[in-house]
Amino acid sequence: MDRAHSAVSRRSFLTGVAVTATAATVWPRPGAAQPKATITYWNGLTGADGKVMDELIDRFTKETGIRIEQQRLPWAELYAKLQVSVPAGEGPDLALIHTVEVPHFAHDGVLETIDDATAGGKGFRGEDYLPATWQGGVYQGKRYSLPLDVPQHVLYLNVKVMKDAGLVGADGKPKVPASRDELVTMAKAMTKGEAFGFAIGTMNPGRYTWGFHNLLWQNGANIYTPDLKRAAVAEPAALEVAEFFAALPHQHKVVPPANANCRDAFIAGRLGMWIAGSWNFTGLRDAKVDFVAAPVPRLFKQPVVWSMPHQYSFPKVKTADRARRDAAWAHVRWMTDHVAEWTLKAGQVSASRKAHGDPRITGDPVLKTLLAQAPNWQVGQATPKWVAAENVTRPIVESVYTGQKPAKAAMEELAKQINALPD
Amino acid sequence: MSPGRRRRRQAGTAYLFLAPGLLLFAVFRVYPLLEGLQLSFTNARLGRATAQFVGLANYTRLAEDDRFHVSLVNTAFYTLASTLPILAVPLALALALNRGRLRNLLRSVFFFPFTLSVVTVGLAWLWLLDPVVGPFNYYLRALGVPTRSWLADPATAMWAIILTTVWWVTGYYLVIYLAGLQDIPRDLYEAAALDGAGGWRAFWSITLPLLRPVLLFVVVTHVIGSFQLFGQVFVLTGGGPGDATRTVVQHLFEAAFQNFFQFGAASAMAWVLFAVILVFSIAQFRLLRGHTEY
Repeated sequence: MDRAHSAVSRRSFLTGVAVTATAATVWPRPGAAQPKATITYWNGLTGADGKVMDELIDRFTKETGIRIEQQRLPWAELYAKLQVSVPAGEGPDLALIHTVEVPHFAHDGVLETIDDATAGGKGFRGEDYLPATWQGGVYQGKRYSLPLDVPQHVLYLNVKVMKDAGLVGADGKPKVPASRDELVTMAKAMTKGEAFGFAIGTMNPGRYTWGFHNLLWQNGANIYTPDLKRAAVAEPAALEVAEFFAALPHQHKVVPPANANCRDAFIAGRLGMWIAGSWNFTGLRDAKVDFVAAPVPRLFKQPVVWSMPHQYSFPKVKTADRARRDAAWAHVRWMTDHVAEWTLKAGQVSASRKAHGDPRITGDPVLKTLLAQAPNWQVGQATPKWVAAENVTRPIVESVYTGQKPAKAAMEELAKQINALPD
Repeated sequence: MSPGRRRRRQAGTAYLFLAPGLLLFAVFRVYPLLEGLQLSFTNARLGRATAQFVGLANYTRLAEDDRFHVSLVNTAFYTLASTLPILAVPLALALALNRGRLRNLLRSVFFFPFTLSVVTVGLAWLWLLDPVVGPFNYYLRALGVPTRSWLADPATAMWAIILTTVWWVTGYYLVIYLAGLQDIPRDLYEAAALDGAGGWRAFWSITLPLLRPVLLFVVVTHVIGSFQLFGQVFVLTGGGPGDATRTVVQHLFEAAFQNFFQFGAASAMAWVLFAVILVFSIAQFRLLRGHTEY
């Protein structure tokens, strides 16, 4: 073809292509997918539950196009980092925290408030949750977080150890202690040499605090008085619990020495009954231990169960970004809608009641037991000092357990230390 | 160019080369140090909008803080009790591994623990010393030796931490000692042998005196490190049982990062610790200084 006869020159052809391509790129098209936000999400799910969270987040990203950059570190480090990063404007869009952390983060202005209209507009309503979990997100009348799930205590019964001690019923199921005396009698029957009948607490070293809290609450006692103004740990009800704690290793001699890894002891068949966190049960299943989960027995006045729900919170940001905040909300909504899968795979019972009737959950004996405890769930008191009080409680309760201090002197010392915590 | 001018020019060039290092040192070491000193006179706390000058209040509160006193005593006990094993065990190994056919292999074996992080070491020993399922107690029971909960007994917990630390850092000090031993001229030993000196005599009269700079280095760095003990305690005992192994740095860490982020109070603790370390370091330099001549 003669170039002179060409209707379109190369230059004008290329110009046309460029203009068309540019127009195609920038021209809004109805229904076309808009670029989705990428949000940052910090959590402390460093165990097996972290892998489950990864899987669910992958699915969320595939379904919504919203990308999530997770940062996962041990809880204590996560909280220190939040406290430092948020005032510097370097916080995440979303953070998973424990209920007891809400008051001090709220008090220090680290978290955004969530008004009822916004939460309601996203489909979050109090009636969908059990009161202990829903109220855990509130500090001084304002909401700062929304509950995801409920890590809690449960009683693990080692079937082999209990069978060997003749502590099974006619149906072959382990007996469940119904009182303090019964628990001690059964524990004595299982304690021989290096095998122990009972333990309360999570992992070494010396993490007896939550078990101690559980028993305090069962006896109607608490760390602070109801007005949250002073320590209540030297009051008679708390002292009774401390004396029971001291009696377990020294008078009854039915518990492992301090610093023993109760989980390993349970797996090795050296521990018969163990009150510990629900997060242990998937690991016990993986270790192929023959065990049964039972509700935490009523050892004092009321059958209270220690719990510490995980809560979704929105740390404050320097400059508001609507798209990112909406994306964070979208993830919280999606997780709440898919919480049954989280429960089944991670072993954490959902805070939302909607998943409680799921037949896959009610069909699992451990999850069923955890759900049955729901009316008895209790959480730490809503004071910014709670976590600091927990930190000073640990060594003192441990000193009672190891016999370093008599229960009364220890509780008086604890009250003194709690009252001396700075404002 | 006059000699004075040349000297000044050389010094200027030297400072120019030193400048990047000095700048980094000033920004990342000196400035935070001074900032910490200033904080120690305030009630600074993360989450509190402003910090007020409180004078010596943080320091006087430390004087009344029983747990701080306990942690100081524990830290001093650890430092004193661990110094002799840290000096002696690597030295004995260095003497044994200074020659011999398997020395390179054995040096690597002994150095290996030092390549591990403190958390790895802590978790490994936590399992080894577990009172119920740990191998340590298992073998003691097999030998008919009475067992106990080593990390939960106030009488043994700190010793267990010392044992763990010695196991962990022996390889590092072994390498330092070996370097020192290599520096001692062989002809001194040959002359001593000709004069009829035996192994012990040569050790006391040649090896030990000529290792004095190395010993000084080991003692000073170990003492400074001991006063800053934290990782092993954090993983192994959490400061327990009770407060039996609580150390100054743990107390400081909890004040700064766990109990209300009290940066003012924690900075005061850090400066008290700094003063203690400074006094000990000066005392050690005075005690062990001496001119070494080959």
